Amino acid sequence: MTKLLVIREYLKNFYSKYEIYLRPTWKLLLAFITLMMINGKLGYMSQIDNVVVVLMASLMCSFLPTGCIAVIAALFITLHLYALSMECALVALLLMVLMFLLYFRFSSKDSIVLLLTPVSFVCKIPYVMPLAMGLVGTPVSIVSVSCGTIIYYFLSFISDNATTINVMEDDMTTRFRFLIDGLVNNKAMIVTVVAFAAALIVVYIIRRLSIDHSWTIAMVAGTLINIVMLLVGDLVYDTNVSILGVLLGGIVSVLLAKALQFFVFSVDYSRTERVQFEDDEYYYYVKAVPKLSVATPTKTVKKINTQKNYNESNQTTSRTVNTMNSAARNSAGTARAAGASRTVGTAKASERTTTEGKAIHNVRTVNTVNSAANRSTSQGSGRSSTKK
Amino acid sequence: MLNEERIILMTKMASYEEHEGKKNVAIGNYFRSDYIGFQLLKSVISATVAFLIVFGMFVFYDFEMFMQDIYKMDLLSFAKNVLIAYAVTVGGYTVITYIVCVKRYNRAKQSLKCYYNNLKKLSGIYEK
Repeated sequence: MTKLLVIREYLKNFYSKYEIYLRPTWKLLLAFITLMMINGKLGYMSQIDNVVVVLMASLMCSFLPTGCIAVIAALFITLHLYALSMECALVALLLMVLMFLLYFRFSSKDSIVLLLTPVSFVCKIPYVMPLAMGLVGTPVSIVSVSCGTIIYYFLSFISDNATTINVMEDDMTTRFRFLIDGLVNNKAMIVTVVAFAAALIVVYIIRRLSIDHSWTIAMVAGTLINIVMLLVGDLVYDTNVSILGVLLGGIVSVLLAKALQFFVFSVDYSRTERVQFEDDEYYYYVKAVPKLSVATPTKTVKKINTQKNYNESNQTTSRTVNTMNSAARNSAGTARAAGASRTVGTAKASERTTTEGKAIHNVRTVNTVNSAANRSTSQGSGRSSTKK
Repeated sequence: MLNEERIILMTKMASYEEHEGKKNVAIGNYFRSDYIGFQLLKSVISATVAFLIVFGMFVFYDFEMFMQDIYKMDLLSFAKNVLIAYAVTVGGYTVITYIVCVKRYNRAKQSLKCYYNNLKKLSGIYEK
């Protein structure tokens, strides 16, 4: 656990240090994933069903406010649907305009939930959204989660019935009626919206209770409510929900919510303190739960030699080695000189993989070799003179 | 000589101005009634547009039937029903907007009060 807490602190420090770069990167990734998913699910307009276009749009989104990603995504959806049929584009556009006019005008920050909900549906873990929003949001988040769910189901309906829409006779009202029916009478969508809303409310209420492990209890209760409501909805309305998918998705969602809790709400219930005091107007019954936190271990690098000395020693090394090499080349005593060269070679190799202290040691070695080489030079010349 | 207390206060205030404060200062520039009135006006326009969209979809959904029945139906009663629906939609949305805006304005004013207190404190530190 301590290791995890240390990692969390490292991550926090890292994020605060590089926030200026990480924020655009995060926006870029979110926009890229969203647009790629839209292209994967719809992809009717070949001009924008292109990685380069998606990358350009994502790059643009990374420098714009988060709400703009939702606008760009809405634009992509409308264009794709326009390529399929004008009625589809019209209905989708009107639906999104209604959402923006009535809700996202108030809380533009929630537009991220509008994007993440369909993304989580595609990743088969939509149950994490009501849990996460119940834990970190407010009951008003029901609107954003519901809007995301409606958009996902509407797009799925169009993508599933694309051939039917294409085959339909060229009557605008028939297509329009078909789409509105698909939107309003989508039982699976209604059941999911209701289940998510109930789960979000339950999670929100329980996590605010003054009980130990309220967050964990809240997420488990929320998941159970979600699963039960979806299965009951399936029994009553025959929504064709995969039981295994719901169960597995629920478990994965709880795990993800636990990860979220680790970063947002990490407390130590074993050290809970209950205090009671009073002032002129009130009696106070206070429960204080300490946060789990560890200090990040800091590494202190003690420099024995300064950078300047290190550079100087390196220069000395190269100078002495050059001198030695030339001396060795000039040396008449070939055997000794060859031995000296080998030693220098070793010194050079060790110098590449060494620290400052070792480098200095190498300087000494090379100096010794240098003097040995000088000696060999003189001896070599001496020998040659003797031979003469 | 650097004054640590002053630097901390200035950093906090700068961070506030950069993030939360931006919105609050914009709200604080209005009188309460002006701010709420302006927001309500925007809400009425938004609700009207939304209602027109939904009404348009409703009419277009069964357009042929609607055109056939238009000569038979009691237009006055139909218009009355439409107007009631419009009034309920706009009224409901306006009430929600009013509640949200009153909350938002009070919160912004409270937050700005804190900010102005800090400004006074800062000016006091400079005068020392």
